[in-house]
Amino acid sequence: MDPIRALKQIKQITTEYFTSAHMAKHNKKFIAYCNVFTPVEILYAMDMIPVYPENHAAILGARKMSPEVLPAAEAMGYSMDLCSYSRCDIGSIKTGVSPTWGLPKPDLLLVCNAQCGTLTKWVEVLGRMYHVPMVLIDVPHSGSGEQDTAAERYVRSQLEELVEIVQRVTGAPLDPDKLRETIRLSRKASDLWTRMLELGAMKPSPITVFDQFVSMFPIVSQRGTQAAVDFYGAMVEELEDRVARGVGALENERFRLFWDNLPIWPELRRLSDVLEKRGASVVTSIYTWAWGKLAVDESDPLADYTEQYLYTFNLHLARRIDLYSEMAKQYQLDGFLYHSNRSCKYISQDIPLLRAAVAEKTGVPGVILEADHNDPRLYTMELLERQIESFLDLLTAQKGTG
Amino acid sequence: MKTHDPWKRFQEVAESPWPFVRAWKKNTRRKIVGHLLPDVPEEIIHAAGALPVAIEGAGVPVRLSQNQIPGYSCSHSMGAMELALSGELGDFDGMVIPYVCDTTRNLFHIWTHSFPWMTNEFLRLPKRIGHPKAKEYLRAEFARFFQSMAKLTGSDNGTEELAASVELYNRSRQALRRAYKMKLEHPAVWTSERVQTVFSASLRMPRDEHLVWMDDLPWNEPVQETGSRIPIYVRGKVWDPPHILDLLDNLGLLVVEDEIVTGYRAVAQDAVGDDPLEALVTRHVATTPYTGYHQDPEQMTAAFVDRVRASGAHGVIFLNPKFCEAAGFDTPDFRAALESAQIPTLVLETSSRGYSLGQLEVRLEAFREMLASDLP
Repeated sequence: MDPIRALKQIKQITTEYFTSAHMAKHNKKFIAYCNVFTPVEILYAMDMIPVYPENHAAILGARKMSPEVLPAAEAMGYSMDLCSYSRCDIGSIKTGVSPTWGLPKPDLLLVCNAQCGTLTKWVEVLGRMYHVPMVLIDVPHSGSGEQDTAAERYVRSQLEELVEIVQRVTGAPLDPDKLRETIRLSRKASDLWTRMLELGAMKPSPITVFDQFVSMFPIVSQRGTQAAVDFYGAMVEELEDRVARGVGALENERFRLFWDNLPIWPELRRLSDVLEKRGASVVTSIYTWAWGKLAVDESDPLADYTEQYLYTFNLHLARRIDLYSEMAKQYQLDGFLYHSNRSCKYISQDIPLLRAAVAEKTGVPGVILEADHNDPRLYTMELLERQIESFLDLLTAQKGTG
Repeated sequence: MKTHDPWKRFQEVAESPWPFVRAWKKNTRRKIVGHLLPDVPEEIIHAAGALPVAIEGAGVPVRLSQNQIPGYSCSHSMGAMELALSGELGDFDGMVIPYVCDTTRNLFHIWTHSFPWMTNEFLRLPKRIGHPKAKEYLRAEFARFFQSMAKLTGSDNGTEELAASVELYNRSRQALRRAYKMKLEHPAVWTSERVQTVFSASLRMPRDEHLVWMDDLPWNEPVQETGSRIPIYVRGKVWDPPHILDLLDNLGLLVVEDEIVTGYRAVAQDAVGDDPLEALVTRHVATTPYTGYHQDPEQMTAAFVDRVRASGAHGVIFLNPKFCEAAGFDTPDFRAALESAQIPTLVLETSSRGYSLGQLEVRLEAFREMLASDLP
């Protein structure tokens, strides 16, 4: 099958982003390290370029460079049981090995623990390395999603405090017009990203999650810029054209699957090939959907951030069971590939119960693949391939097709 | 000749609290509420009329829980699940899981899914220890938690009862601090292992009764001290494996202070003030921060070194639960800071799965030798 043409832009976009991040000081801009669930629109509007250590680690993994840097972090005392993104990041700082000339030094470290607690501790390590202010947006988990007004007050007050801290670092106040424009661009990019993910529900699907993983960089790093809007505009246009022509991402789409959890970055090509050979199109993923719900409104963005961090991203077990069951219908799924990810306990520890409950509720089976998102020493690819083959044999038998 | 062993009943409760709490429930017809560690204010459960019982997963052989949680989870989470799956917690009416890390966040939902017959409560502890807004939030959260516990027990107890519970637990903590001090002064009789047994029992039985039992300890008996001991400091979650204290006693390593959540850390601070909820908040903030909490990264390292120095310890043992990310991220920098201050360290990664007591003993012996050679 022909690759998606718009994806060819990714290399250029990535290069331009890292060049501008490395040139930040020269251009009188600042660098904030941050994670997914942080208010990047505020950062962009205040001349801070958001830089994602996780994203850098994923690039190291996808380019199969993680084995070069992981041992350096472990030699510093960081256990192999810790998140492999963090070990890649720390190892890259130690060795200087990086596909992006490293990351520019930060002026601010910003973390929101709605995503996970690992990041807080990882960034504390960076705080001791770089001696710059660290801000944690602490989000008390909202249990089973019930409203918690005390927690809302707590989260919002920290966002207000963040604006003051950024002002102190940059020496300039927040310009409301600039924030509105950034939010508008961010929303556009987010809407286009969402549309792109929704197209996976078409039969045949014009896009697989492997394409989605490759196309993630701008929605992660450049939400709030024109570059992201232009790129996803081109992606959606091309995919809609595919849909209109009845062209799928795979020539012969026999199975429609769901990918749970983060990708196994070092194995994207190999996994994609194994699945494509059997006509298995992985049409959606909970991971890529995370960026489909990040847009905020101009009228009171702090209220929207608070709502998102406390409730939208509280993907607790019962909610995941419901969500996956709905997605099984929406995407007409034949099976679930559950990546039990040693490096991301937060979204992996409930997988045994999740798989059983979703199968019981929907009749759609799943297979658990125990691996790691960035450390190829922690899994055996041949074993994963055999598990996938067996699972597809099961689906074949269920469908009654040879 | 005195034959009564005053330590034995503490040991029995610490090692197997289940028959004891079952009998308590039968006799009192009141509720039992389990809680994971750390930092669940037992006073609130007590004030609502229930018996708080700490659940420690460490040391529990894991079999059934392996089907429920992946093996790369810490032994505290897997052991706690194992206790419930094997029916040991069948008489428990409620379970409180504090939010201190990603695993506890997940475990609450796994627990609720697996044991819907219990009233399960998630205590949302803020991570920004010391931040004024975090204190404000924590007070609201403790108030919500009190309401939830009162609903479970059907009680209409309020501030007065909570103040009485706080007062009882303060008395208990004072008595336990006294026992810890006896360990430092008379370690031949008040061994680390025995004193910890008294601490552990306090987390699993009515505190008033525990205080009465403590009166029976050999507070005033003359003690013949033998041999010199090397003072050490221990950072970790719980005493895992539980036999480690026995090993330390036998090797002449005296724990002069620890940050173990069932150890000295649990009793170091009292809850003081006219408003019992505020007193609990103040106590929480004043307690040595658990590794999952956040502070200024450089200050937290410096404060740790200061605590170790103030204790007079000659060496530090990190008792890190395997798969605990928070401890794993802190340890290298903490260790480097201690070594810059000429304080030797030993890192032990512990798990109920696959540890060898013999290997542990060899490593502790080597550490002891190193410390002994540094002595003047």
